[in-house]
Amino acid sequence: MSYSKFLAGALLASTALVGAAQAQEGGVTVVLSEELDLIDPCMATRSNIGRVVLQNISETLTELDVRGDGGVMPRLATDWEQTDDTTWRFNLREGVTFSDGSAFDAGDVVHSFERTQSDENSCEISRYYEGMGVTMTAVDDSTLEVSTDDPQPIMPLLMSLLTVVPSETGMEFTREPVGTGPYVLSEWNPGQNILLERRDDYWGEMPEVTSGNYVFRSDAAVRAAMVETGEADIAPSISALEATDPDMDKSYPNSETVYLRIDHSVAPFDDKRVREALNLAIDREAFVGTILADGTEPATAIVPPTTIGWNSEVEQWPYDPERAQELLDEAGADGVPVDAEVTLVGRTGNFPNATETYEAIVGMLNEAGFNMQLQMVEVAEHEQYYSKPYVQDRPILVGAQHDNSRGDPVFSMFFKYDSEGRQSGISDERVDDLIDQASAATGDERKALWSELFAYLHDEVISDALLFHMVGFARVGENVEYEPTIATNSQLQLAEIGLK
Amino acid sequence: MQKAIGKRAISSFISLFLLVILVFFLSRLTGDPAALFLPVDASEEMLEAFRERHGLNDPVIVQFFSYLGDLVRGDFGDSLRKARPALDVVLEAFVWTLQLALITMALVTVAAVTLGSIAAFKVGTAFDRFTSMLSLIGASAPDFWIAIVAIVLFSVNLGWVPTSGTGSVWHWILPICVLFIRPFGLILQVVRGSMLSALGSAYVKTARAKGVKNRPIIFVHTLRNAMLPVVTVIGDQAAALLNGAVVVETIFGFPGVGKLMIDSILQRDFNVILAAIMVTALAIFIMNILIDLAYALLDPRIRA
Repeated sequence: MSYSKFLAGALLASTALVGAAQAQEGGVTVVLSEELDLIDPCMATRSNIGRVVLQNISETLTELDVRGDGGVMPRLATDWEQTDDTTWRFNLREGVTFSDGSAFDAGDVVHSFERTQSDENSCEISRYYEGMGVTMTAVDDSTLEVSTDDPQPIMPLLMSLLTVVPSETGMEFTREPVGTGPYVLSEWNPGQNILLERRDDYWGEMPEVTSGNYVFRSDAAVRAAMVETGEADIAPSISALEATDPDMDKSYPNSETVYLRIDHSVAPFDDKRVREALNLAIDREAFVGTILADGTEPATAIVPPTTIGWNSEVEQWPYDPERAQELLDEAGADGVPVDAEVTLVGRTGNFPNATETYEAIVGMLNEAGFNMQLQMVEVAEHEQYYSKPYVQDRPILVGAQHDNSRGDPVFSMFFKYDSEGRQSGISDERVDDLIDQASAATGDERKALWSELFAYLHDEVISDALLFHMVGFARVGENVEYEPTIATNSQLQLAEIGLK
Repeated sequence: MQKAIGKRAISSFISLFLLVILVFFLSRLTGDPAALFLPVDASEEMLEAFRERHGLNDPVIVQFFSYLGDLVRGDFGDSLRKARPALDVVLEAFVWTLQLALITMALVTVAAVTLGSIAAFKVGTAFDRFTSMLSLIGASAPDFWIAIVAIVLFSVNLGWVPTSGTGSVWHWILPICVLFIRPFGLILQVVRGSMLSALGSAYVKTARAKGVKNRPIIFVHTLRNAMLPVVTVIGDQAAALLNGAVVVETIFGFPGVGKLMIDSILQRDFNVILAAIMVTALAIFIMNILIDLAYALLDPRIRA
């Protein structure tokens, strides 16, 4: 090879490099925190899978309006009505095709649902329909009927989770997802990138962005640096530490709530005074803008304030270590073992500064007279403490983070508070009752019941120590326009990105 | 020699087999992959169905023999997380690691042997003191910190190379440079020390007395003798790189086997852990044989 040829080659390689992010005209590069293990639409409720698949490749019948307050909006369904207590009828959009060219009809929806129930896969979204006795029937090509054992007033919202695949899709996990969405999967290089390209025959409005290239970096500093250098256009999740540039960095409530789960059956936490003392001993405000990012809000419920039934009258526990100490002394005098050593189990890396946050909480609790020690564990070990059957040989508090961006408490309350819930620390008849009633109610009645439950849990039961509603940070490069929302943890619609 | 390699192969496979047994049973004690794969609000029925489907409900000993049975037929099982063959997942990643390790070690060897020999020859001079300092910094620098600083400096501020990832030749520069530093520091020290003692030996004095020039003294007489301990350290460092450069792979988003292994341990993806261990162990075993051959090449006494 001659010297000049070599030079030309090197030059070519270097220009290829500079243009990496804007390789395709109108394309955007998104840097995610971890690679997708799977890309199956029925796993789209998993954070990073949802960010690639949901409403980009695969669509749902309905969609929750997270940018306005439109509630449940039509997507593949045009409208819907409840025909009797336990039946919903959805009218489907006509003229919609999958990216493989086949037409979309009610049979595809029925198949998509049945696929999530198959025992040949482990589709995550099936959990939202569990125990409801859902039956889906295609009345005709454009009419779907959904019936359940009991009334399910939120069926239209539930349909925002069911990603639709063509009826030819096999039951096992697919690596070549086909959907009705505006983009198709065009490349997947394991470990390196996933490329989506815009379809020409999308039924809806043509999005501006022509392609989405997804890359994966586990280090938040690197994700932030990539947007800064123009190698990527959007990093949906960086940490507060990296969010230093007000021109690029946007904070958003990320729908996560941090709390300490209490097992009410183990002393000393079987005593309400001790649980109250626990709540009074934590100075929640002190964390905001210090260990945790500005914008973090002290919590009075396990779901974020934008959820229906959110009770603004529930008052946050004040910081009152003296009163906490008094309560502990009182309980101690009655024979409650308040000086028993309590382990606070936290998960490393659960959220930015998780360890520091729990360390500070343990310090505050010990100050108020508790005998706390911190144990930080990794995800698998944490799961053994967080879910039933519980470790009960000693008093344990589990620090955990819960995500609900879906607008309705139903996705949280059963699991976290029902006697049967897998992460519930309580067993309270009235709570079980309220959850049942609220889940079946509609409209204002539903709101009122959830509100009542929130107040009852917080003030009467003192079910747990609710701590913070968290904020996330996204970095958005100068060539694109994008506003993160409460749903940015679970989806990132390329159609919502504008080009400058 | 062949007999020695044969013996080595047998003992290596025995230890690999013991390792597989150990990892198989220990990893199954440490957590439930079903709870990690499914979301926390999955029901007990979903978890049970997952365990059943992946044979996690069978007694561990039954799981072990069925795994061995498959292994004998060359089937390493499927990745629980990725729902595709574990061996494919591992080999894909290993190719990246192998390239990274080979390129890095080649550069390190050339640089460390050259500079180390010169430093030993010019012992006590400014050059010697400078390289000693350099190697000390290299051997003790935390690669996590260096990687981040390198990205900020060379990518963000200067814009010379991309921050991370793969795709072009330029993407390799930072990871290789960061990986280069520690083994370079270490091997440089060993080369210098080993050369110094060789240069002080009787045969060099004899050569000098005969009037042999400096260059042949370094490259013909001493280097070959001084290389024996150096080869050992090079092998050691290369083995560490073949196991995957976890920190560098994680920060630079480099799809190698180190990060894969850590991720699959965290996710309890048993088949991937085992496949990764077997593949890297085999690579290290092959490398050890190459090192033995290098000894034999360098030292006629070993050939006998």
